[in-house]
Amino acid sequence: MRDMRTPLVQPAAPTPTATVSEFIATLAIVLAAIVGLVVFDTALARVDVAARKTYAAREFDIGKQFVGKGEIAAGLEHIRTATMLDSDNPTYGIALAQTTLADGRPAEAAQMLTPLLERNDTAGATNLAIARVLVNEGRVSEAKSYYHRAIYGFWPKGAEKNRTTARFELIDLLARENATQELLAELLPIQDDSTNDATQRKRIAHFFVVAGSPARAVTIFRDLLRHDPRDPESYVGLAEAALSIGDFATARTDLLAAQKLMPDDSSSLHPRIALTDSVIALDPTQSGLALPEQVRRAKNLLQMTLTSVRKCLGVQAPQVAVALDSATLLLVSGAAAGQAQSVEQNLSLAEQLWGLRRSRCAKEGNDGALALIHNRISQ
Amino acid sequence: MPALRVSALPARLVRLVEDLRRKEDRLALVLSLVIGALVGLVVVAFILLTGRLTALMYPAGGAGWRRIVVPTLGSLITGYLLYRYFPLARGSGIPQTRAALFIHDGRISLRSVMGKFVCCVISLASGIPLGREGPSVYIGSGLSSVIARRLGLSRAQTRALIPVGGAAALTAAFNTPIAAVLFSLEEIIGDLHAPVLGSIVLASGASWMVLHLVLHDTPLFHVPDYHLVSPAELGAYVVLGIVGGLSSVAFVKLLLWLRARFAKMPRASQWIQPVAGGLTVGILGFFVPQILGVGYDQVERVLNGDVVLKVVVTLAVLKIIATSVAYASGNAGGIFGPSLFIGSMVGATVGSVAHLLFPASTAGPGAYALVGMGTAFAGIIRTPLTSVIMIFEVTRDYTIIVPLMISNLIAFYISQKLQKEPIYEALARQDGLHLPTSSSRTHSAVPLVSSAARDVPESLSPEMKIGEAAERVKDSALESWPVADELGLVGMVRTRHIAHAVDQGKLEMTIERLMQIARRSDGDKAVALPHVHNDQPLSRALARMRENGHKVLPVVSRANARIMLGVVTFGDILKEFGVDNAEELDYRDHPDLGT
Repeated sequence: MRDMRTPLVQPAAPTPTATVSEFIATLAIVLAAIVGLVVFDTALARVDVAARKTYAAREFDIGKQFVGKGEIAAGLEHIRTATMLDSDNPTYGIALAQTTLADGRPAEAAQMLTPLLERNDTAGATNLAIARVLVNEGRVSEAKSYYHRAIYGFWPKGAEKNRTTARFELIDLLARENATQELLAELLPIQDDSTNDATQRKRIAHFFVVAGSPARAVTIFRDLLRHDPRDPESYVGLAEAALSIGDFATARTDLLAAQKLMPDDSSSLHPRIALTDSVIALDPTQSGLALPEQVRRAKNLLQMTLTSVRKCLGVQAPQVAVALDSATLLLVSGAAAGQAQSVEQNLSLAEQLWGLRRSRCAKEGNDGALALIHNRISQ
Repeated sequence: MPALRVSALPARLVRLVEDLRRKEDRLALVLSLVIGALVGLVVVAFILLTGRLTALMYPAGGAGWRRIVVPTLGSLITGYLLYRYFPLARGSGIPQTRAALFIHDGRISLRSVMGKFVCCVISLASGIPLGREGPSVYIGSGLSSVIARRLGLSRAQTRALIPVGGAAALTAAFNTPIAAVLFSLEEIIGDLHAPVLGSIVLASGASWMVLHLVLHDTPLFHVPDYHLVSPAELGAYVVLGIVGGLSSVAFVKLLLWLRARFAKMPRASQWIQPVAGGLTVGILGFFVPQILGVGYDQVERVLNGDVVLKVVVTLAVLKIIATSVAYASGNAGGIFGPSLFIGSMVGATVGSVAHLLFPASTAGPGAYALVGMGTAFAGIIRTPLTSVIMIFEVTRDYTIIVPLMISNLIAFYISQKLQKEPIYEALARQDGLHLPTSSSRTHSAVPLVSSAARDVPESLSPEMKIGEAAERVKDSALESWPVADELGLVGMVRTRHIAHAVDQGKLEMTIERLMQIARRSDGDKAVALPHVHNDQPLSRALARMRENGHKVLPVVSRANARIMLGVVTFGDILKEFGVDNAEELDYRDHPDLGT
């Protein structure tokens, strides 16, 4: 096929000749062209980058608005465009990963974050985003490490605020995981950090209770009350700490004090006060009780524990529950050597049963009073 | 060029320059760096201008009608410019670069370079779905050629700088310096052991440096880390290799078929032909905007896992159609970029299906899109080594290399089996250029046809009567005679066929008729124009002789197969190989074989 698109025969190449001056002039022109092109290209690249950044920022804002409205897919589209247009901006990359995570694709989110981390492994925001992805994937121990990197990492803006956010996310995670020792380790360095921020101090105090250090919580709440004696939340916090150490009477007093300070909005306190009342009424270890009352309460506690255990084991293994029931009744009826001994035996048995329940059954909401009493007995 | 008087220059500078010109290796070193930097900057300007113009043509939130009007207008403008002023700037630029290297002594005119630059900027910015890499290679090689000629370098030196400029251009266009070096060796020169390797590497390095100076370290695609999830996943990559290979063949065949159809249209319609491509692209782009332009943003989305099966299948099919029509109709732009687009979509399709079926043991579709890019490149461009290295450079990730190699080789093998001729060679052949293949280049160490060829004997004309022809050849020992008209060679006729026709008394029959009859009787062995080229090995000439039964073959020009440069006979070949054959040697002294 012969096509005239590409002429087949070009004019013959000229015989190569160039004088020294022509040679130098050509080189000079080429070098001048290089210099000119550097200037031209650099200017053009700046214009290009500026235009791209502007466009990216607009797309990012639109994307954020969509995400804010819960339209994740639409938001993702715009944030992705922003990321492509301005790939050097880690904010877009992190936002893209977080939106992808919100879209239920943790693996992809992790993949997006990896290059960002490779680019700057001390970036606090990137590490925090990775920690969130890992939490979502259930990789808690790895997540803890990335939370630490976020807490001690570099934040170009608002470092303190971002570090606090990261630390409290980690604290929340540790509380959920019931990792009390690690939780305590996270709380101790910050207990004196926020002396002016009452809300944050209350959060810290609350987590001290969860971490099994109610005394520190009490110290913080009392300090808060010294500054603001009419703060009902601090009284509630004190009550929480008192409940955790089994000082039910003090807890009740604190709750009533809180109720007095917020008479118009005390409905949230009613269940807690009721719980405290029932604990006080059930507690066989309460000081000042007559022996028969102690016996009655111990038996009652055993019966309640048994019911709770049967309820949970009955679902899982009926035969075990029946056997347990028979053995328990036999033990209680045969152990009537003395009332004091009976109290001890019943409490001991109830504690063992509670231990069994705790290891094999899920928590139930209506077991709050039982849990508190057993917590006190175990102390 | 401003004339400088030598006397006005410092004597030391003159001595330095003269010294530099005398020492070719130093000159090559300096020029490689200078050309690398210049070409890199020109290509960066080309990319940035295209990007800015595209943004103007298609502003954010622009109306849908733009997607029809802009490509149509763009192709109309470039069609006219190409027809009227820059005929060499059509298409990719790779075949034209190779033609300059192998046929035109490395000559590419400044006008062609400028035409390529302007037409491709307009064409690509208007949304024509062609690539920028091929044109960049042509621009880079062209600048090298212009500079070399202006500096008064020899033809050999000028030729040597063609791949140097090409590599520098590809480095800047794709930000893959190693792949650019390999591409120059594998595709442009066709010889991985070419002596210009050092210069190519230097130019590529210089180009990469200026690219980073201006655009910083911005990879073409930002790709997450992908890796093989399980060894069983290699099976999915094998499937990708097969699908990628078949898609590549479909694309190449469609493009070549359409181009052949367009080439048959009247020459006067050439200026309007690109509009057919522009309008097709516009209509498709109106409904599916992602197919407009080179589409690297869409590729990046897919590489990052933003894959919807229905969308990627549609895009793969439409891109094949749009690119084929746009290229075949004569628009300016290459097929390098579209190959990557098609490959990524095909890869994402295979990856989506694989991940749907085996979610636990396969990576996401993005990984397959990445491998698919290399697969299509290996299948379409047929440079398997370059494709592997290119993906490696794009991703900077080693872990995906093994599946990539497997997939690439399968696609390469399928493509070779189903489409014998690589695309750039086929395109050149459609333009009447017989460029050397990579395999023919590797035979350079063995004796070449040129060493055994002799001058053109007197030829017969197609209208000549058998009687006259018999008289002409009666004293000749040549077994075949060239037949030529005023435009050049038309074929070969055997002496014994002439003698046989005389015996049958068909003295008034023409040579042309005799050739037709001979061709029919030859059946499968019949070749319209059996020939060899000067730079082919003698073994190729022997193979040709065996294929078509002629013991004499014309040696023709690569620029035009009808221009006969000489003949080569079976006896001459044997003698060249040191095999004595007295009967054949007699031909040398025969008067018919004189000038």
